[in-house]
Amino acid sequence: MNVEKLFEEPGLKQITVWARGVLENKEARDVVVALTEAAAKEGKYVQAWENYVDLPDRIYVPVRAYGKIGEQPLESKYVYENEVPDIVALTEETLVKGNPILQGVKPGSVLVVNTKRSPQEIAKFIKDFGNLQTLVTIDASGLGSAVITLSGAEGATDASGIGGGMSAPLAAAIVKATNIVSFENLLSIVKNKEAAEFGFERAQVVDVKTLQIAG
Amino acid sequence: MSAHATKEIPFAGTVPSPQTENEGMITGHWRTRRPVIDRDKCTECLMCWISCPDACITQDDNKGLQFNMKYCKGCGICTTTCPVGAITNVPELDFAD
Repeated sequence: MNVEKLFEEPGLKQITVWARGVLENKEARDVVVALTEAAAKEGKYVQAWENYVDLPDRIYVPVRAYGKIGEQPLESKYVYENEVPDIVALTEETLVKGNPILQGVKPGSVLVVNTKRSPQEIAKFIKDFGNLQTLVTIDASGLGSAVITLSGAEGATDASGIGGGMSAPLAAAIVKATNIVSFENLLSIVKNKEAAEFGFERAQVVDVKTLQIAG
Repeated sequence: MSAHATKEIPFAGTVPSPQTENEGMITGHWRTRRPVIDRDKCTECLMCWISCPDACITQDDNKGLQFNMKYCKGCGICTTTCPVGAITNVPELDFAD
């Protein structure tokens, strides 16, 4: 048996969402929960959780929420961090600066950024694209505001529902670029359905190769 | 404490403020908006200097107030406390560095 392939899980997709502590913590969680709930409807094996090492109770601190969607039962369900993500999303544009957002991304991976700026402008701040294939921009903050609540942060209850804020268009942009779940299933999960539809419509999907040629 | 060491401590214990940086807790990447100072408006009243929770602002006799962007987390307290409105918060991605 090949030792390097010991932990390989065929068909497993890892989603990492970066956000700012407290102010967008809920939005990051909603993106992964909405996508994994939609995938569960399609009979996939799923898992969604937050990184607590990131000090999520500090305002503006970069925090991460993770999701796993697999065709087979998840073998790595006790692995605490997504080391080789397929999808990376940022709830806020300035996270491209100074954070290792593209560390370990798999070939063919997708980066989704919540920004008013163009993909070309965002690409200027990315020093190493690694294996990134697609860059997506969506003005999710223009379609919905962040739900600032600590309800659900400890996992007991979530009073404000899933995808009530700008996480809905952000998740819709991920679906448009990756087709990881069907958009109808996502729409049935998120609360802010109108924003999700606009997000699906307005997300700009750009191939990274064309950005690099343009400089 | 030896007699020699006692001699080196200034009268009434007035020592210069320590200038240290904690490499284990760099907070510059928390910033979403950057404080930009208008030197023409600044009166160097030092309200921002005393309000900064991270002690990022230092006074330079020749260059005026300096902001340490390695640790500034963009909380905007300096902008709010400035009595003459010399500091503005500018979106971080407007700067290339």
